[in-house]
Amino acid sequence: MYEALEKCLNQADFSSTDLVQLRSQKRLMTTCTARNGVVEEFSNILLSGMSARAFVDAKAWGFSSTNRLDQESARSTLQAAVRSARAASRLKVKRIALAPLEALDTEVSTAVGKAPHGVPTEEIARIALDVCKGAREVGSRVADVKATYIGIEDHKHFLSSEGMRIRQTITRILLLVDVIAKSGGLICPATENYGHAGGLELFDKNPPYSLGKAVAQKAVKLLALKAPPSGQFHVVVHPTLCATLLHEAVGHPLEADLAMSGGGFGNERGKLVSSRLVTIYDDGHVDSGLGQLAYDDEGVKSGPTVLIEEGVLKSFMHDRTSAALADAPPTGNAHAWDYSVEPLIRQTNIGIEAGTYSFDEMIEGVNEGLLLDGTFGGQANSNADFTFGFQSATWLKHGRRDQELRGANVAGNAIEVFKTIDAVGREVVLRPGACGKYQFAIQGRVVPAIRCRVMVGGTGGS
Amino acid sequence: MTLDRNWGQLSDVVHKAMTRLGKKDSKLAEAFLACSQTTEIAVRNSEIIAQNRTEDSGVGFRVAAAGNRVGFACTNELTEKAILEAGERALAIAQATAAFPDFTLPSATRPASVKHLFTSEIPDMTIEQAVDVARWAVDAATNVDRRVTAKDGRVVFVDGRRGVINTLGVDLEERETRAALTLGCVAEQQSELTGSCYASTFSRGADLKPEEIGRKAGQMAVDMLGPKSLKSFQGPVIFGPEAVSFQICDVLIDAVKAENVASGRSAWTGKLGESVVSECLSVSDNAMLDGAFASRGFDDEGCSSQNTCLLSKGQLESFLHHATTAKALGQRNTGNASRFSGGFDMAHLIIGEGYRTKPEVYPSNLVIQPGTKTTEALVSELPAGILIESLAGFAQRGSGVISAQLSRAFFVRDGEIQHPIKGSMISGTGFEWLKHVSGVSKEVTPFQNVIVPSLRVENVKVVGI
Repeated sequence: MYEALEKCLNQADFSSTDLVQLRSQKRLMTTCTARNGVVEEFSNILLSGMSARAFVDAKAWGFSSTNRLDQESARSTLQAAVRSARAASRLKVKRIALAPLEALDTEVSTAVGKAPHGVPTEEIARIALDVCKGAREVGSRVADVKATYIGIEDHKHFLSSEGMRIRQTITRILLLVDVIAKSGGLICPATENYGHAGGLELFDKNPPYSLGKAVAQKAVKLLALKAPPSGQFHVVVHPTLCATLLHEAVGHPLEADLAMSGGGFGNERGKLVSSRLVTIYDDGHVDSGLGQLAYDDEGVKSGPTVLIEEGVLKSFMHDRTSAALADAPPTGNAHAWDYSVEPLIRQTNIGIEAGTYSFDEMIEGVNEGLLLDGTFGGQANSNADFTFGFQSATWLKHGRRDQELRGANVAGNAIEVFKTIDAVGREVVLRPGACGKYQFAIQGRVVPAIRCRVMVGGTGGS
Repeated sequence: MTLDRNWGQLSDVVHKAMTRLGKKDSKLAEAFLACSQTTEIAVRNSEIIAQNRTEDSGVGFRVAAAGNRVGFACTNELTEKAILEAGERALAIAQATAAFPDFTLPSATRPASVKHLFTSEIPDMTIEQAVDVARWAVDAATNVDRRVTAKDGRVVFVDGRRGVINTLGVDLEERETRAALTLGCVAEQQSELTGSCYASTFSRGADLKPEEIGRKAGQMAVDMLGPKSLKSFQGPVIFGPEAVSFQICDVLIDAVKAENVASGRSAWTGKLGESVVSECLSVSDNAMLDGAFASRGFDDEGCSSQNTCLLSKGQLESFLHHATTAKALGQRNTGNASRFSGGFDMAHLIIGEGYRTKPEVYPSNLVIQPGTKTTEALVSELPAGILIESLAGFAQRGSGVISAQLSRAFFVRDGEIQHPIKGSMISGTGFEWLKHVSGVSKEVTPFQNVIVPSLRVENVKVVGI
């Protein structure tokens, strides 16, 4: 695979291109889904392919990919990329002066305790089945339990006409748990995901049985609770939900391609955009973080990059093109989900630095409001408007926990909401995350609890 | 040419692998193979920023060993060795895993005759022509008003083939083309920036009407300038086709998927024959509509396409099935096995679609039958209410709870649109809304998997400032 790319690069005529990048990838994936104690699916997925990216006339990129790995396919894929670049170049006026990268030849791998490759089918199936066992033991109101194990091993090669030769092996493990509790006509879902960059040692400290039990207990508990109210509230956001808030509400608007398109944080560099209590960074080197990546898919070394420091906007997340346009250094945030798609500006492991408050102190500061916990996904618009779901809530009254409540959604504008943050927790946790910006990605989030004001769209009375 | 070459090579070896599996200790075996060539143009900030041409082909094997133990393996390596090994791996997994008692595959039937799934214009499309389509859409949008930016957009042309072979006699293949254009526009004046407003078209042919889509998206963004906050409100709401196609259809699809019925996740479990939604609503799943985006001759495990009535005047008539759920519930297979399921499901998104995954139950073209009045007439009948064209947010699976931000909505008084709305949310249960539908528009809009009208719903709660 690597040889075909090397030959393709050696034989290519670069007289009509400014830069050529070739990537190849072999992905080995094992997945197992158990539902209510039955293994519904056990898959072994082997995907490989290559892509070519060409930059021409100092103006336009072109991209092409194929799952064929012979030398002729590599050559025709590169030709298609050059032709694509030319097709767009004729329409472009603005010139882009990409900062050159120094030649590099390196090899990096995720630290793996217990490699998933070669583990017997029965042992992998046991992980998903144990989740079901733990959940079903919670009782008859647990109507449905679905557990999905996913192990991914990526072997990636990156070569460029600038002399880059990077070989990366990345191993990631995920366990996704989804439980439905039912009572009469009432249905309450609860979910939780584990995930890290590393091997099966993930489950040494996090037994799947306990995870299944905890998620099922949560779903069953929700059956007896009322829906939360609606309106603007002073809220304590648990780290499980803060991870989504950070990614959707602040992370996306700090991606340079979105930021530079007007509105949101676009013109705010150097300005106070958030509470002074907030420092936000993105770091591709967080230990075990799902977004771990030493070099991005343009060959740029990943962060850490300080994005917001004590409330002041310092930097966006960049690829080489946006960095050139903004006259800033690239930050190693150009990621492609796999060989078949072009790199795009993505978060790696985004984080909020720990504050000084204990969780109890944060609650004590709320006279009347809500504690929001768990996540049900979300989305953000380029003007920094966001919406996302929480799984459960607790009514807070005079600094104490009062009634427990079910989940709903929150919405707001990130710039307005982050200015209202009046406390940041001192304990941070590493959370798994996913993102669907134009293409899929799995990422990490390093988050404390925060306290702010936000709009809650509950169906209950206030 | 590449597509033909890849298909021929893949199909030959897959047939060989299936013959081998038939002779081994496999009770049932199936191969799903697919080849595609995709041309895609991406637009950001009124500029064409990426133009890609990608090819993909591969095969996924599902094999059941004795005792109904099932394994799946796939590969996109097209060598004979890699393909034969994938079949062997599926069998080895099946032999090592636990029983899945309800698993089955469909027997051979004649595929439905569906017209206009393929046009030769798309395989002949050059990258330059595709770039022009994107450029025309952007120009049309920005010509609407100087305050408009074509924030993001996508033009995609796909030339594909898919095939299903199983040990019960299914051996089918189909060639199809698809084209889609989506353009999201924003408008900006002084310090005010609207959210993205999307117009889209989905087609089997190459003509994506880029000028029309561009003008529409540009005008939608301009119409959102000058929004006002809203006080909390409870009353009639008209959901436009885009809002119906996402959050409201998600609730409906979640409830009619037989996988969810079998596992007790569906709110409509055990309610066949009962009245579950407003009698204004009739809904079908029609995979045989000529030229529709999700039409096909057979589903992704080889069952012939059908037109299935799901809801008739509010009464639940059928669920959506593939072979395994039909067996589990003792109902008719509706031919809804899909390897291209929608929605944001993390496991699906990681694994991928097509040959990379086993099929799940999903609609083909889910059609909400049109009513008798225009959307304009429905709006003109509102004394005070809200027209919601687009929502940002999700329907919670199972419960049908929807709380979402109004991303494109207008306040209506005395039958006239007054102003766009900012900073508000909608909050309720999709199933309750479906019970309170009081009006259905006669115009319908096609999206990828749904063809839907506007719906008037009574007593909806909107959370304002």
